[in-house]
Amino acid sequence: MRTIFFACLTLGVCLFATYSAHAAQLQVPATVVANTAVNIPTSGSGHATFYLIGPSHVAKRQVQLGSDIKIDPEEVKDAGRYVAILSTGDTGAFYVVASQPAALGFLDHPSRVPVAENNAISAVAFVMDKFHNIVLSPQTVTFQLTVKDAPPLVRSVTSRNGVAWTLVSSTRKEGAAHFDASLGNVKVERVVQEVANDPCNLRIKAQPTPNGVLVETDTVRDCSGNPLPDGTIVSFTAIGPDGKSTVDAPIKRGVARTVIPVQHGATISVASGVVIGNEIHVGGGGK
Amino acid sequence: MSVSWGKYALRGFAILAIVAGMVLGFVELIPNGLASPTPRVALDTSRIGPREIEDLTEHNIVRDYGLAWQSLAEARQQNRTDLIDGYFTGFAHDDLRQAIDDQKRTGLRTRYIDNGHKLEAFFYAPGGDAMELRDTAQLQMQVLDGDKVVHDENVTVQYLVLMTPGADRWYVRVLQAVPPSK
Repeated sequence: MRTIFFACLTLGVCLFATYSAHAAQLQVPATVVANTAVNIPTSGSGHATFYLIGPSHVAKRQVQLGSDIKIDPEEVKDAGRYVAILSTGDTGAFYVVASQPAALGFLDHPSRVPVAENNAISAVAFVMDKFHNIVLSPQTVTFQLTVKDAPPLVRSVTSRNGVAWTLVSSTRKEGAAHFDASLGNVKVERVVQEVANDPCNLRIKAQPTPNGVLVETDTVRDCSGNPLPDGTIVSFTAIGPDGKSTVDAPIKRGVARTVIPVQHGATISVASGVVIGNEIHVGGGGK
Repeated sequence: MSVSWGKYALRGFAILAIVAGMVLGFVELIPNGLASPTPRVALDTSRIGPREIEDLTEHNIVRDYGLAWQSLAEARQQNRTDLIDGYFTGFAHDDLRQAIDDQKRTGLRTRYIDNGHKLEAFFYAPGGDAMELRDTAQLQMQVLDGDKVVHDENVTVQYLVLMTPGADRWYVRVLQAVPPSK
């Protein structure tokens, strides 16, 4: 009975001791800058197995107790939590934090935008070090939107939690706009295609032809004077005694035109998208 | 009489020691192999900006972040890189794949017993193409060398998370543990 009692007691104590041993601490730094060597002092003698468990790196090797455990810079280049474990039961955890900013992740949206739209372009930059760790300390990111023959639009934004963002308005001139995000020597460039906005002052004129009335627009432009791109649909509608008819015609070289057969007179109107132009009244036979 | 009480005290102590030993031993010897359940994820969007989060997006973030952690736990326990393809992309995917390759090479495994995540979304890009969040994760982490548990800890870890939308889900693009907030 006494033997069983002591055996059980010993088992319990051993298991408890094993479990408690896990709480022993290795002397590790609280934080380490990415790609920096780490030395962990150990005590005792003989050999032990050392484990390093990180977000992108896992290592296992034999170490000499009583000497420093050396962790190479490339073993701690990714930011995150690392756990150092010795087979003796000693453990320690430390955080690797980002080093100096060296890269930007840049998202701009959209890639095509109408001219003269307020806050139409969003820019988001993620500040990273050269190992693609997010840099959490505030950094000043400069956004610059440049179009030909116009002064650049510049915004400086301080990053928070590794992200800097801004909204900018599109310029009044169509074409490729260069959108940059920069931080120190790091510069990332995107191209935003600025396109003509909705038409403005849509006007048509008419002239009789043997087959009806030829109606055509003036050069279709937006309110900033940019010609609308070819292929934009313009709708011509004729309403008269013969009823209502609508013809959709694409813009070609800035102008949309079509022939509408008119027998007994009609009122012809024009529209493109949500924009309505002028009306023309034609008599019988297209006069 | 006093001798008798001393005997009872000794027996009580022995029983306590045995129970403690069995409990602690059991903790050390939890069997492998059970598929990890989808962890609990609570999302706080009260401080999100500049874009307001859509109801569907909120639902999907909770679902996909939970599934991402489930796949991470299974991948690191089973040393299977294919399991992370579903919910990780970019640097997060590359880092995890590298860690799992290292685990395979060294004969190690990591077991996460996931006790839940408190997610706080604080940045949602105006274009809707990125969301940054902070996760406070409650984890039990065990490191196994072969079948032997060489490390076991309960830990609260804060993660900076960057998620980006795909065709039918949100992917974890960055999962970076950060030092605890002061």
